[in-house]
Amino acid sequence: MSGEKGRSRILQTTKKIGELILEYFAKASEAKAQGKPVAWITVFTPVELLRALDIYPVAPEHFSAMCSARGFILDFLEESERKGYSQNLCSYSRCTLGYALSGMSGLMPPPDLLVTFRNSCDVYVKWWQSLQMHLGTPLFIGEAPYVLAAEDLDNYVLDYVVKQLESLIRLAEEKFGLKYDEEKLVEAVKLSDKASELWLETLKLRRCKPCPLGGRDSASDIFPLVVMQGTMEAVQFYEELLEEVKEKASRGEGVIENEKYRLLFDGIWLWYAFDLIKYFEDKGAVFVYEPYSEAWACRLDASKPLESVARKVLSMGLNVDIDLRIERFLKSIKEFNINGAVLFSNRSCKTWSAPQLITAEAISGEFNVPYLLFEADMADPRQYSEAQIKNRIDAFLEVLGES
Amino acid sequence: MEIPINISNLCENQVKQLNKYKDSGVKVLGYTCSYVPEELIISAELQPYRISNIGANTSTLTPSFICPFASATLENILKLEEFFSGFVLAHTCDPMWRLYDIVKKKTKKPVFLLRVPHNTEDPSSLDFFRMELSRFKKFLAENFGAKVDRDGLSDAIKLCNENRSLLKEVYMLNSGGKYSVDASDRFKLVLASMWMPKKECNAQIKALSLKRSSNKTGDVRLHINGTTVYDLNLIKTIEDSGGFVASDDLCTGSRYFWSNVEESQDLISALAYRYLKRTPCPSHGPLQQRLEYIDFMVKEFKARGVITFAERFCDPILYDSVHVKDAFAKEGIPTMLVDYENPAQEIGRIKTRIEAFIESIGG
Repeated sequence: MSGEKGRSRILQTTKKIGELILEYFAKASEAKAQGKPVAWITVFTPVELLRALDIYPVAPEHFSAMCSARGFILDFLEESERKGYSQNLCSYSRCTLGYALSGMSGLMPPPDLLVTFRNSCDVYVKWWQSLQMHLGTPLFIGEAPYVLAAEDLDNYVLDYVVKQLESLIRLAEEKFGLKYDEEKLVEAVKLSDKASELWLETLKLRRCKPCPLGGRDSASDIFPLVVMQGTMEAVQFYEELLEEVKEKASRGEGVIENEKYRLLFDGIWLWYAFDLIKYFEDKGAVFVYEPYSEAWACRLDASKPLESVARKVLSMGLNVDIDLRIERFLKSIKEFNINGAVLFSNRSCKTWSAPQLITAEAISGEFNVPYLLFEADMADPRQYSEAQIKNRIDAFLEVLGES
Repeated sequence: MEIPINISNLCENQVKQLNKYKDSGVKVLGYTCSYVPEELIISAELQPYRISNIGANTSTLTPSFICPFASATLENILKLEEFFSGFVLAHTCDPMWRLYDIVKKKTKKPVFLLRVPHNTEDPSSLDFFRMELSRFKKFLAENFGAKVDRDGLSDAIKLCNENRSLLKEVYMLNSGGKYSVDASDRFKLVLASMWMPKKECNAQIKALSLKRSSNKTGDVRLHINGTTVYDLNLIKTIEDSGGFVASDDLCTGSRYFWSNVEESQDLISALAYRYLKRTPCPSHGPLQQRLEYIDFMVKEFKARGVITFAERFCDPILYDSVHVKDAFAKEGIPTMLVDYENPAQEIGRIKTRIEAFIESIGG
């Protein structure tokens, strides 16, 4: 569906992502072959800590997005549905449950440990419990309470997460005879922080007009921050990316030649429909900000490594109070000079979609920024109506043209 | 056993009860989940009232694919706002958590979110939950001038323990294969316990004549698995189809009253322990523990089949239903998943499925 035509405007550095992904998964299988435990993790799990324990993390969410983008997700979805998992459940979860039920002979090696922190959604808990029921693998479920106010990050809420990280360390030591190495954690924290710093700096350059990095790039370029935090490869990738974007910005070169509209995208991207981004771009609209891209970056403090990782687990993604999220939204509209918002009501991500109308009200109420809200699924292409969505995009861009 | 007329009426028309509170100047705190300790609300001299989805359509503020129960509950919170002094929501599943976001933006009344750890096993979860209950106590003091002292809390615990024990006593009348009390009646008592003043409710349950009231002898005994069932037509449909609801694991059923608070030196710790370690709901605690509880209920109440009631789009129960099916298939006990968006509008379809299920068991 995406095709070469749909990929024509991506950065040179972004083009390396595909290879990086394959390498990352290949190394997971190598690690397993060498007797190193492989953990299946949800994406806002403290990867840095797993590195300090010498556990190799892979993210089934990432695997599912990749299956969707490459067009081979249906077999896995159908496998889980045959088992009885409802089509109304998260498509990432259905994909990985289908993969687990069908023998796990693909890129992602079978897990030795299942680790999740309930932070951005509660589905993680049920999904990981279900995986455990089918695979019988040891399971760790951590809780990162919803951050209601800034002080939560300094009181019993933070203590609670630190204690759970210590429980995870104990579990890994007891189950696999591993030894937690704080020096390794410090090293991973430093590298993770560096990658986040570089990514945030890159994202800032999207304030330039024309915008040098579009939605197609940001959707792919987050990958090293998802599972490769704490590695030198991730840092190198973001150094290269920043360099390229800086140069592009200094040349005054944008994603598209004639940038008419600067858009915010709220949601996870539709992995099977990257061509939609091109559809916007062909009409002069470029995505300059997504809360999703920003969510992966978190500055860490190597002098307090465990606490710093706990803060990251708590404050990532959708786990902060709605007022703080709306504040960030409104700030971005000013900072990035945004004139329209596209909100993706994602059938799979109920935690994101449920309060989306409240966010939309805030955007249109405060800044009179028009918004488009459309419904589909992030990974399951069966619920996607291309013609209908394009029709709505046309109408939305017409409104933007008039405002 | 004959259910008192005021309890039956209450289940038909909740607003009447809310009007009563309003007219008599009783301050009511609305809550949405059985993980919220009513004891703390009562000790703050407020009336706890569990807000249901009854009488409401799904809210236009949520997408169509959000659990219709959560969405209609939101609609009721906003529709019935005038009757409440404030709201307590609990972080159980995604939609209930996000309801807090929406309610907070849509009401001027005080709103509290009780964060309930999903991992109930880690020792640190109990410490955290104790701190959450202390924060709730502070919220009650700050917003309603409530002084929750030890004696008041101890009395409230005794009152709620008495209520739970009474409900369990009635419930156990059907154990071991007995057909004593129709489930519709039992459920009414639970709902009344969440809506009426506790003392009054306890007095009425105590006054019940606990002689056999069901005439269902021989009907197929079933266990109901799910989250909440406020629409008792669902229960009646089973009863009308030749089934007998012998047991359940619902938040509007046995999960509400199964265990009591063990009073100890530190009452907040005692409450934290009871509510975190209670019979888990599908969104909380180890799945294995939940399966064991259902298995225990099926054996204790001699159920021959398990029906899972699932609100469409309810993630926790939809995941669990696969494992419930697997677990009981091993024991040769048939299971069936019945999902719905609005039971009142879908009752014909639901009845057909239930009849076929009961027939297949051999009713």
